[in-house]
Amino acid sequence: MIPSTQVHYFDDINIGDSIPSLTKGPLTSAHLMRWSAAFENWHKIHYDAPFAVEHDKLPALLVNGSLKQQFVVQLLKDWTGPEGWVWKASFQFRAMNLVNETLTAWATITGKTALQDYGLVTLELGIINTAGKESTPGRATIALPFRGGKAVPYPFVAPKL
Amino acid sequence: MALLTDAAKAYIGIESTLEWACDPVERGAVRRYAQAIMDEDPIYQADNDTNQRYGGAVAPPLFPSHLFRRAFGTTDPIQDYAADPHFDGAQKVRGGLPEIEPLKHLAVMNGGSEIEFYRYACHQERVKLRSRYADIVEKESSKGPIILVYTETDYLTANDELLMRVRHTRIRRPL
Repeated sequence: MIPSTQVHYFDDINIGDSIPSLTKGPLTSAHLMRWSAAFENWHKIHYDAPFAVEHDKLPALLVNGSLKQQFVVQLLKDWTGPEGWVWKASFQFRAMNLVNETLTAWATITGKTALQDYGLVTLELGIINTAGKESTPGRATIALPFRGGKAVPYPFVAPKL
Repeated sequence: MALLTDAAKAYIGIESTLEWACDPVERGAVRRYAQAIMDEDPIYQADNDTNQRYGGAVAPPLFPSHLFRRAFGTTDPIQDYAADPHFDGAQKVRGGLPEIEPLKHLAVMNGGSEIEFYRYACHQERVKLRSRYADIVEKESSKGPIILVYTETDYLTANDELLMRVRHTRIRRPL
């Protein structure tokens, strides 16, 4: 998927709005193996099914938490657009997601604060599977430009709040 | 008996020295990474109009945190533990921190992260990190006691520009 180049302005954001979700999957063992190879992490619970089930007593191969957090960051980055900046993101891995699940990253706007040169927007976020089970709750803070204003400074400098 | 001993708590506050990633940000590594996360954003691919603002082609936001891989000439745990049926392949220690020996017998799971982003790493840039054990606590879970190990890591460019700051939680639990 090619990210949108649409610019979102702080002025147009409403608390309670959801941003468009991002769905990945079904995440097969090939997806998990590809991710393990790409970042050279060889934890067997993500690609060695007998080890995961028989040794570690897991129900099946697990989707990497490190892969799930990529989906959240992509969701935020793509929506924030080229003139904003994703400042903070946090996630907790509260529940396992198993191989062959399809996952959807979502986020909802919970607050907005206007600063001098741009605005900060806070979001609640997470990842649900097709059964609607939440596995990765978290929060984020993004910086958006004002309509008619300049792009958020890059590199980003943490504002004094 | 408590899982968390004084010997394990003694690791709180230990800092790593600055550690360099063994390779610079390579275009091929960025391609494999972007394809694996299924985010083929044009800003990662080559210098173009979409990444002028960032000074050219960049790596995905979380890439610096996955850049610290095994360098040439270092110990190969996969070979070292090839005969150990209990070796789980997990990379238990990151950022130049010593392994917490009293927790070595416990399984490790990813408990989550808090990340602050400041800028992208550009292709060909070198990245270094500094890390520390911020806290180690025991908690009760639905499946019994677990230990949460918190680390804080700064990822920096060669010019000491902060790319990102990560507070990471690892869960250690009995098998």
